Amino acid sequence: MFSRDLWSEIFHSIKSNKLRTFLTGFSVAWGIFILVLLLASVDGMKNGFTKQFNDDATNSIFIYPGSTTKPYGGFEAGRRIQFDNEDLDFIKQSFTGYLEYITPRFSKSVTANFGKETGTYSIRGVNPDHQIIERTVVEKGRYINENDIQNTLKVVVIGKVIADELFKDVDPVGQNIILNKLSYKVIGIFSDDGNEREERNMYTPVSTLQRLYGNTRNIDQIALTYNPEFNFAEAINFSDNIEVALKRRLIIDPEDQGALYFNNYAEQFSNVSNFTTMLSVISIGIGMLILIAGIVGIGNILVFIIKERTKEIGVRKALGAKPFDVIKLVLLESVFITSISGLIGMLFAMAVVALISPIIDAPAFSNPSVDNVTIITATIVLVVAGVLAGLIPAMKAASVKPIVALRAD
Amino acid sequence: MIEIKDLHKSYHMGSNSLHVLKGINFSVKEGELVAIMGSSGSGKSTLLNILGMLDNLDEGEYLLDGVTIKNLNETKAANYRNKFLGFIFQSFNLINYKSAWENVALPLYYQGVNRKLRKERAIKHLESVGLGPWVDHLPSELSGGQKQRVAIARALAAEPKVMLADEPTGALDSKTSHEVMDLIQKINDEGKTILVVTHEDDIAHMCKRIVHLKDGVIVEDKVVDQVRVTPYVQ
Ligand SMILES: Nc1ncnc2c1ncn2[C@@H]1O[C@H](COP(=O)(O)OP(=O)(O)OP(=O)(O)O)[C@@H](O)[C@H]1O
Ligand SMILES: [Mg+2]
Repeated sequence: MFSRDLWSEIFHSIKSNKLRTFLTGFSVAWGIFILVLLLASVDGMKNGFTKQFNDDATNSIFIYPGSTTKPYGGFEAGRRIQFDNEDLDFIKQSFTGYLEYITPRFSKSVTANFGKETGTYSIRGVNPDHQIIERTVVEKGRYINENDIQNTLKVVVIGKVIADELFKDVDPVGQNIILNKLSYKVIGIFSDDGNEREERNMYTPVSTLQRLYGNTRNIDQIALTYNPEFNFAEAINFSDNIEVALKRRLIIDPEDQGALYFNNYAEQFSNVSNFTTMLSVISIGIGMLILIAGIVGIGNILVFIIKERTKEIGVRKALGAKPFDVIKLVLLESVFITSISGLIGMLFAMAVVALISPIIDAPAFSNPSVDNVTIITATIVLVVAGVLAGLIPAMKAASVKPIVALRAD
Repeated sequence: MIEIKDLHKSYHMGSNSLHVLKGINFSVKEGELVAIMGSSGSGKSTLLNILGMLDNLDEGEYLLDGVTIKNLNETKAANYRNKFLGFIFQSFNLINYKSAWENVALPLYYQGVNRKLRKERAIKHLESVGLGPWVDHLPSELSGGQKQRVAIARALAAEPKVMLADEPTGALDSKTSHEVMDLIQKINDEGKTILVVTHEDDIAHMCKRIVHLKDGVIVEDKVVDQVRVTPYVQ
């Protein structure tokens, strides 16, 4: 089928019709160019959105207490809910196996001093698990560990912004920092992909902060991540289960919407995913429409060529060409032209994307790129397009009656 | 080799129909060289097309080398054409973007002969029609007589049983016409069956038998003394 002769036949035909081959090919190249650019743009948006969520692990749930809105179990409405260490332990024990990481958050605002420099920052009491949930990147030194928690050590991991503002040229790790008149030892510096505001925080063992601030067992928030194997439905279901259990434990009306807030990233993430998927579908649709114009163009020109080559086809048939030989010739030519020009369009689009991708890094549009799926899809689309475009002309060619060749012109 | 019984053929154009062949009975034995004559519109080409399986007959019987030719599908007809028949056309019908040898090799291509062998055989046939030095030339670089000789080589390439020529000299001057007829005579000498449609008396008399068509029937069918082409002294 793909003998050298067939190819030389096709090349002959293309060589003797350079301009038309170029024009036909151009429409397809253009279609693919637009399609790939559109898909790359959607990819860029997707990256933009994902990046904004990347601040935290995508399988995380944040639980905040609020105030009850309904009277329940002998309590009046309007009661403030407060979490403590036992609530966290309760979740930990009730959902072992479903949980991946879990940490309390206990936050205070502090005035920090180092040397002559001073500033106001927020300090968070956390567990070591917090690092993974928040995707904190330790740039230097280390994060809070189990030993710090056990011994309620006065150690802090500070954000890069704090390091810059307070310590200037001094290496903060190992230095002592004064927070609300108490001295802590800096054990590490972190950065955060999410945003700079995050880097104005510092982390200390939750046990330390609770001891120093009234020897309390209270915590402000609970953050956790669930089994990453969970699909969307399972994730939502899991967070619902925690809600039910917590409400029972804290004596809250199951229907109360204000007492507990669950921030489930799966939910938001899924909304964004749906949105970008829709964009992909739309851009594939638009690309296809443009491509259809190309296909019709190729079909049109091929029909014209066939008309021009009627005599030649008649002669070939008189010499023994079977209908299938003729179909093969036209179809392969069509597929060949569409594939090559489509490939060129694709390469151009990829070059454009490669050029602009590093430059563009806006919040909603970041590093657009062309993935393998796009390339494979586009290639398949091209071959199919070539076949479709060549089909009608090929049938037309195959139905040419050889007598026309015998007629004197 | 060829046997036709009571052949009818009509062309339909809208509501009109034109009865072109009205009962042809005719047979050709192996090795004959037959001229088909008749005025314009008498149905010569129509007859030749039916013999060449390029057109279907309406009524009657056609046997080619003992095989009944009727209601063949396109693929089968293509196979028979390729195996049994060689065509020579008035307007040569060479493919203009293919060189002489590639044109000659085309029937072999459709037989599935490999490229190397095709080229060998095409060159051999081109040499036999005196075009050895022209194998790589495009048709546009050849004279009319040379083009027709390429066409003859092409008709010979598939080693057909019968050669059908529709006014092979119609587009040539008398000198080149004679050269072409000389070639046709020589091919016939080697035993090939050949049918030649022509208008010209002198061309017809270079054949061995003349069949006259008039208004769709054969009015005369006679054996003649073949006039051998006298080679031109150059
Ligand atoms: N495909 C066709 N459709 C309709 N009519 C046709 C067709 N082919 C031939 N005819 C008609 O049939 C008649 C015979 O045509 P044919 O070509 O066989 O004549 P001919 O003897 O070869 O003439 P000429 O010497 O001019 O070549 C003519 O009147 C022609 O108009
Ligand atoms: Mg004719």
